[in-house]
Amino acid sequence: MDWHILAQQLVNGLTLGSIYGLIAIGYTMVYGIVGMINFAHGDVYMISAYVTAICLAVLFSFGIDSLPFALLATLATTMLITAAYGWTIERIAYRPLRGAPRLAPLISAIGMSLVLQNGVQLSQGAKTQGVPSLIPATLRFGEGNDFVQITLVQCMIVVVSLTSMAALTWLIQRTSLGRQCRATQQDRRMAAILGIDTDRIISTVFVIGAAMAAIAGVLVTLNYGSFDFYIGFVTGIKAFTAAVLGGIGSLPGAMLGGLILGLSEALFSGMVNTDYKDVFAFSLLVLVLIFRPTGLLGKPEVEKV
Amino acid sequence: MPSTAASPATRGVRWNPVFRQAVLEATAAFALALLLLGPIVGLVLDGYEVKNELQRPLLIAAIIAVGRFLVTLAMHTPTGQAALERFNARRRQPGILVVSISENNRQRWWLLVIVALALSLPFLASKYWLTVLIQAMIYVLLGLGLNIVVGLAGLLDLGYVAFYAVGAYGLALGAQYLDLGFWSALPLAAMLAALFGGILGFPVLRMHGDYLAIVTLGFGEIIRLVLNNWLEFTGGPNGISAPPPQLFGLEFTRTAKDGGMSFHEYFQISYDPLHRFIFIYLALFLIVCLMVVVVTRLRDMPVGRAWEALREDEIACRALGINHVLVKLSAFMMGAMVGGIAGVFFATYQGFINPMSFNFFESALIVAIVVLGGLGSTTGVIVAALVLTVLPELLRAFADYRVFTFGVLMVSMMIWRPRGLIRPRRRAFEVKGLCP
Amino acid sequence: MDHPSFPRCLLAVALAGGLSLSGLAGAADTIKIGVAGPMTGGYAAFGEQFWRGASQAAEDINAAGGINGKQIELVKGDDACEPKQATAVANRLLDQDKVAAVVGHFCSSSTIPASEVYADAGVLVITPGSTNPKVTERGLVTVFRMCGRDDQQGPLAADFIVKELKAKKIAVVHDKDTYGQGIADAMRDRLKELKADNRVVLYEGLTRGEKDFNALVTKIKASGADTVYFGGLYNEAGPLLRQLREQGLKVNFLSGDGSLDPAIVTAAGGPQFVEGAYMTSVREARNIPASQAVVKKMKDAGFDPSGFTLYAYASLQAIADSMKGAKTSDGAKLAKWLKSHTVPTVLGPKSWDGKGDLKDTSFSLFVWEPDGTYKEMRK
Repeated sequence: MDWHILAQQLVNGLTLGSIYGLIAIGYTMVYGIVGMINFAHGDVYMISAYVTAICLAVLFSFGIDSLPFALLATLATTMLITAAYGWTIERIAYRPLRGAPRLAPLISAIGMSLVLQNGVQLSQGAKTQGVPSLIPATLRFGEGNDFVQITLVQCMIVVVSLTSMAALTWLIQRTSLGRQCRATQQDRRMAAILGIDTDRIISTVFVIGAAMAAIAGVLVTLNYGSFDFYIGFVTGIKAFTAAVLGGIGSLPGAMLGGLILGLSEALFSGMVNTDYKDVFAFSLLVLVLIFRPTGLLGKPEVEKV
Repeated sequence: MPSTAASPATRGVRWNPVFRQAVLEATAAFALALLLLGPIVGLVLDGYEVKNELQRPLLIAAIIAVGRFLVTLAMHTPTGQAALERFNARRRQPGILVVSISENNRQRWWLLVIVALALSLPFLASKYWLTVLIQAMIYVLLGLGLNIVVGLAGLLDLGYVAFYAVGAYGLALGAQYLDLGFWSALPLAAMLAALFGGILGFPVLRMHGDYLAIVTLGFGEIIRLVLNNWLEFTGGPNGISAPPPQLFGLEFTRTAKDGGMSFHEYFQISYDPLHRFIFIYLALFLIVCLMVVVVTRLRDMPVGRAWEALREDEIACRALGINHVLVKLSAFMMGAMVGGIAGVFFATYQGFINPMSFNFFESALIVAIVVLGGLGSTTGVIVAALVLTVLPELLRAFADYRVFTFGVLMVSMMIWRPRGLIRPRRRAFEVKGLCP
Repeated sequence: MDHPSFPRCLLAVALAGGLSLSGLAGAADTIKIGVAGPMTGGYAAFGEQFWRGASQAAEDINAAGGINGKQIELVKGDDACEPKQATAVANRLLDQDKVAAVVGHFCSSSTIPASEVYADAGVLVITPGSTNPKVTERGLVTVFRMCGRDDQQGPLAADFIVKELKAKKIAVVHDKDTYGQGIADAMRDRLKELKADNRVVLYEGLTRGEKDFNALVTKIKASGADTVYFGGLYNEAGPLLRQLREQGLKVNFLSGDGSLDPAIVTAAGGPQFVEGAYMTSVREARNIPASQAVVKKMKDAGFDPSGFTLYAYASLQAIADSMKGAKTSDGAKLAKWLKSHTVPTVLGPKSWDGKGDLKDTSFSLFVWEPDGTYKEMRK
């Protein structure tokens, strides 16, 4: 394979992987703290794509033409509204099930996912929606037919995801809120005894997960330009796979899993076959789990009697 | 829920603070609903512009606020508090009901009524309701199969649909390439599905809980994708037709295949597709009854007890010398086999299958049946399967809001009964005179 | 009994059943016609187009006096493009709603099993969008289609690629779905006849519902293709085109009628990405004088009649005309009438052959302009 093709595929994989990683954070944090698979998370990401487009359209209709301002305002609004969705979903569908059998919230989550998908379809219609290409700039390396062309948005995706990952790691590792999160994750009852409002912490985790999905939603909408009410499903399953691949419950694991999944999809479809790239992604997951049953960065489970 | 509402003993409620609280909560609900629904429901994308429909979220938010206000007030009346207390008390009930054998036997006559009703239904129902019933029966079978894996052995399988697909494609491909009929394909497809279960199960059963779930999910997707991509063998997205069922070599088709005889010709009656459906329904009913008996017996046998013991405490079981891999594998293969049988019936009932029918949502629906049925209760699984398959058909009256309502109902059913519709029963062995 | 829930469940189910039944008792002086398609799920956009088109047609026909003095009443059927739900909804339309004819089913994989049910009951069904040859190849008398067949538009594209574009290397991409793979295969078969199949350097499928095709685009670049043929719908064609252009590939792009839709401009993120793409389709309906008024009416009502909207409109027109002509709602007689008459529809005059396929489906080539519109290419 020529260098420029390989480089281009690496860029493709990195951007895709960063998106997976951002969404995977929501899965991994929620799993870490309440031990449930939040199947509605993919649809929260879908909602953020809609909010992004609506927000941009409203801003432009008010005649705001400063692009950086419009983007920042959109990012902030999308994060706020999507986070509110994360909070409300936890409040309505999962909190009443605290203490119920482990699988009850899973079913509730599947129901919630149907509600979100069809709610958006009912109010926004089923057709593919989009935003205009706002940042058309591309970077081109190489000359003649041997070149690598990267859009500015792709660079933004990688930079923004890495930055938000770093910020989140700082939040979890260094702040009091982060300590409370980690304490709740390790032992919810003990944390509660020590005076941590665990319900609030769980809500916070849902809010953080949704906010990260919102960042992904804004970036994806800018990069691909189109979305519909069904995008949460495909991307959600992939992001969840990424979270498990990296070791569910582990933040760096989510990012690593996302990147590995994105890169392996891009390279496999580039070198072997696009038809079977998803088969490859899932086989990779099965293989990794057979040899490392708790994912790449997951802590090995201690069997307690 | 306001925390004060939990104590039932509050007599003589002071209305003023209650009223204030209700107003506050209603305002908060209104603001939140507006924030959530404002953009998504109120501003409809149209090309690169938005249409203003803000009256819709305002209306919904107002309804929510009024509802919240009334609920808060109602929760402070004695009736409301009693209702809340009943609701919470039921949610706190233990997951499993232990009944003595004698008590269990009392309900036998119920069974007769239900069986008689189920047997007469196909002759009373219209064709549409008969097809709905057949689908419901297929889901009952799927639920019973997955119940062995999830409910009894406690292994979360999110890719159960893979075995369903193996069974369905077993019949369709068997008919196409090996010229198998329905009855010869039935055991072969069941065995094939069990084999798949074994192959998948063996390496992954060492994994714990949710890792197993995601691996099975991955496996389900792999099967579906391969069925979709392998165009030369499976017909890919174009699907493949499956043969209709036969009764002693008589085919349920308008015109029989070369050399064959069709059912209506043999009995000299006019052709009616209803015959085929009645036959499928009765055959399915027989298999379901057989499965119920088998599962009930299995639960009392050592292997069934080992499944449930393993679900409760794996380490203790291993310490007691139970081979956990073999026991889990047996549950997995057993479940897969039932899934395969359901798949064969699905294919012959549909007459045409394609990979679309075996997506992840289908797996999720079957898991929902098992969970809603109460994880381990056979009656529960049957009731839940009927509810979850008949419900979407009933909801067709809601037209556009069908799936939306279905989702709302799924969430509310889980909140209403987190332990499932029916509590699983476990037999207790009692020795008279010893225990008071 | 210690399960209070069980009887209560039954009661709830029975109540709901009663509600749904009571809603069905319609007036006898209407003719019920089913509109079946994916109203929910990933393909819901097409179901919406069916419903809007058929509703507009019913409104217009009713305003003009209905069918033989009876008003048309439409019944919506949702199959979510899933064979299982398709047969369920087909049985429901026949049994519960007692429809006299059906406009319907979008995905060929739904139309094929559902049409067996309709044919069994002798009810006329016209599909506005299922292009798979198998739909009409099974000898079912009452099954018709209002659209072309996969094996009609693929060859046109192949001829154009070989004779006009003189492509040296061709990349064929499809969406692993009945329609997309169908037209892609038909195109490839024609290339074989033209002895040009050795020019196909890549033949692969992407996944419907995804938006990131960058890896595939890079692979196309690596293959050195100068022409890309895509079998699929605009939802994927848009992002694919955009990513081709964003990676700097100046290749010719061809696709079928599933992509020839103004919505592709939205899906791609602007007309600059779609410019110069070629697409095959039947003569563009919206430019036919008969359809101008309908298009205007629907646009005024706030719905852009894109995609299959007008096909659904025309399907209902055909059903109504056959009922007027044959003065019955018996499927076999209606089918006979349709096969021997020409129906003036919003898509122009239409007539059918013995199998239920359209007689005159002259596909032509369209090219996208820089302003986000398209025009028919002069031969």
